[in-house]
Formats: sequence, C-alpha cells, structure tokens
Amino acid sequence: MSDPIVAVEHLTLAYPGDRGRPAVSVLTDVSLNMARGGALTLVGPSGSGKSTLLRCLNRLEEPTAGTVRFDGRDVRSLDPRELRRRAALVMQTPVLFEGTVRDNLWLRPAGTPGDFSEARLSEVLIEVGLEPLFLDRDAATLSGGEKQRVTIARALLRDPQALLLDEPTSALDPPNAALVVETISRAREARRLSIVAVTHQPELVRHLGGSLLFLVRGRVEAYERLDGGASAIGDARLQAFLAGESPRAVPAKP
Amino acid sequence: MSGASSVIDLSLGQLGLALLLVGVVVLVSLRQGLGLERDLLVGSVRTIVQLYLVGLILAAVFSAARWYLVVLVVAVMTAVATQAAVSRLAKPIPGGHQIAALALTVSTAVTLAYVIGVVVRVRPWYEPQYVIPIAGMILGNAMTSAALAGDRLQGDLRSRAPEVETMLALGFSGREAVQPLVRAALRAAMIPTVNGMMTVGVVQLPGMMTGQILAGSSPLVAIGYQIMVMFMLAAGTAMASLLFVRLAAGRYLTAAHQLRRYLL
Repeated sequence: MSDPIVAVEHLTLAYPGDRGRPAVSVLTDVSLNMARGGALTLVGPSGSGKSTLLRCLNRLEEPTAGTVRFDGRDVRSLDPRELRRRAALVMQTPVLFEGTVRDNLWLRPAGTPGDFSEARLSEVLIEVGLEPLFLDRDAATLSGGEKQRVTIARALLRDPQALLLDEPTSALDPPNAALVVETISRAREARRLSIVAVTHQPELVRHLGGSLLFLVRGRVEAYERLDGGASAIGDARLQAFLAGESPRAVPAKP
Repeated sequence: MSGASSVIDLSLGQLGLALLLVGVVVLVSLRQGLGLERDLLVGSVRTIVQLYLVGLILAAVFSAARWYLVVLVVAVMTAVATQAAVSRLAKPIPGGHQIAALALTVSTAVTLAYVIGVVVRVRPWYEPQYVIPIAGMILGNAMTSAALAGDRLQGDLRSRAPEVETMLALGFSGREAVQPLVRAALRAAMIPTVNGMMTVGVVQLPGMMTGQILAGSSPLVAIGYQIMVMFMLAAGTAMASLLFVRLAAGRYLTAAHQLRRYLL
C-alpha cells in the first residue's frame, strides 16, 4: 500500500502492574495498514484488545512499543488534540452533555477550525438522518439510536479524515443499529472517509468491506481482505463471524 | 487571660467519674449485642494516653517557647494529617502522599502566616499558645477537605471516565476534560465548611468558642476568635482541596492528553 491513512507497526501495549505485580499485556506485536478511504474491522472475543488498539490510533492510549502513523506521520509528532479531530472517535455508549443537541454539536475547544453555523449544523443532522428540528431538543430526551447519530454528527462536523468506531451499534436495538449502519455507510461514501471499526455486527462489516482483523489475547490471529466477498475468506473463524456467529463463541487457536 | 483563675481544674477522681459515662455505653453495648465493648475500652485508653502525652509535650513546648520546637510540633501534626488524608482513599493515588503533604503544608503555612502575622499579630510570632491550636484547626479541616475532594475525584473519574474521554476525543486538553470533575470535587469538599458558616452558633457552639468560654473568656471575646476561625478555615480548606484536587487530577492525565484508565 503506497499511501496508507493508518499504519501500525509492531505495536505492543502493556499496563504497568498494580503495586509491584507484573505488567498486564494488552496488545502484542500488532501490525496493520489501511488505504485512504478504506475500511478495517477489528473483531475478536471480549478482552482481546480491539478497543485498546482502536484507541491507539487517536492516541487515547499510549503503546509501550511500536509505531502508529496517521496520514503518513508518527502520531507522537502530532498534537493529540489535532489528531483526534482528524481521527474522530465514536464510542459504544454515546456520551452527550447537558443541554440541547445544538449545545452538543457546538461543543469544541477554542480555536477548532470548521463551520459551526446553524445551516451547517442542520446539514449534518440531515446527513445522519435527523430532522434539523432536533437542534433544540434536550439531549437527555433522545433515544439511544438518536444519541448515537448525534455523536456521529458531532464527529462529522469536524470534517475528520477517519472515523474510529468502537462498537457503535452494540448498545442499540436492531432497527436503530441498522439506521446507524446506514448512516455510517452513507457518510463514508459522501465524504470518502476512512473507517476503522470494532464491531460484533456482521451487517456493518458487509457494508464497510475493506479488511478484517481478528485479534485474540492481543495478537493478530487473522488479517484478510474482504474484496472477493465472504467466500474468499480463508479463515474459518472470520467466515463464521461473517455468517453471523458471535466471535465471542469462537475458540482461539490452541 | 483575665478570667482564667475561675477554671475548675479536673482531678483524676473527677475524670474517673467521667469515665463512668463510657461504662454506661459499654453496658448498652453488651445488652444490645453491639460488639463495641472492646473498641470502647481501647478508645477510652487511647483517649487518656494520647491526650496526656500531648498535654505533656505541649506543656514542655509552651514553657520552652522556642520557635523551632513550635515548628517541629506543627510539622509532626502536618505529617500525621497527611497520612490520615491519603489513607481514606479507596485506591491510592499515585504519589498521593507527596501531593497531600504539599497541599496541607502550603495551605496551612499560608493561612497560618496570615492569621498569626496580619490578623492576630501575635508577638513573638511563634507564641505556642496561639500557633499550635490555630495550626491544628487549619490542618484538621484541610485534611478532611482534601480527603473528601480526593475521594470524590477518584469516584467521579471512575464513573465518568467515558465523559472525560469523549471530551478528549473531541480535542479538549486533559485539563479541560477533567475540569467538570475537579469542580464537583471542590464543591463536595467545600460544602461542610460553607454549611458550617451558615449554622455556626445557631445549631452548635464551635469547640474553640466553647473552650474559650469554659476557660473564662467573655463570650464576646470568644466570638471574635470564632469569627476569625471560620474565615480562616474557609480559606484553608479551599486552598488545601484546590491544590490537592488539581495535583491529583494531573496524576491521572498524561502530557499527551490521555486518561490513565488503568489507575482507576
């Protein structure tokens, strides 16, 4: 890949042990890269380090060793605040702050570039499938699916190059999950966004395409491209996942 | 003090009579199966021993009236208060001991210097009769407020981590991201002091004022001191909890604006 948006090389992450106990290894020697406008899905059992890996990409986590490059630059050479604007994170449980939807969309550090005009806010709300009338709604009164779409709108307003999605649909019921999947796919096409997602939802993976990375206990166990369709997938566990089986139930390689 | 001669000196026999009050509590504990007898006994013995020891030390310091002895006593009090402030935390804050020592030392030193040097104008400045009890009051309250603030901050960091990380992911600095939690912790720490200012004298007579009145001071002299004490405690607790919470919040953040979740 000549010009990847995200490139991870030999990333290892361990947390220091609590009170003299040995360090806790979370990720070991993970490498991956993703083309500009591409998609990558991280799958694996709970506790396999998927979310931690995702959070290394916008430097919410600090690797112990290895490098993460975003748009050609080592993330350690970027201002983390600027990096996080360009690689916007959407979390599993949407966090909206006190106030209206407008207050939440406006929420940004002083000096954040971009258009935060009323017209633009409405435009982005429409992009995520919500009426502009929502601007005046109290954020606390929204449904889970609406909240998640507002957090996606909040991310899109900053014109990111990449969206990092941490199980964006797992806290939602199926109809709302489907709406969020649709929202993400549409935004991706319209904006040529690069997407890295942690998900248990095969539906989202099928929409995104790209590559699939299977993590078990912090190590890459399989890493395959989806271009040829599900049938071209060689790894049985990835096939099972795409067929709708929960990856939690899939045993790790002995 | 003018009326000091009117104080009734309590004899050992009289203290023995006071101990009968604890005896009643022991009986109640036995009857009701509270299981507190042992603690009550140990507590009574500790009360007697600790206070006698402190009394002996203070009597020696008072009669020697040397500035370095006064400073030493205040330093020991600060060390004990530091230990007490951090020992109540659910999970140790990394470097919590140094943070608490710094917060308590600075807040006590600044408040004490102002009260002794500017407000009361004690001569000489190290007059133990003033410095030690006033330092004790500031430290005691500073310790409680720092512990309350630290406890609240820790609890909030744990329960509100997604909020903090959402702020960080939106490009806010670490300091900006924890600011709402710092504010909540400071409010929690300050509430007892502010409530105290609201109800002082009406709900209860504060210990210092009671002591002065018992010692024969006119209630009007006593309230003068009490008013100063309330203001002094407001300043001391605010400074201690602000320093403690700011420094403690910093320990949970990195220079790259990350929340060190593994510490929570």
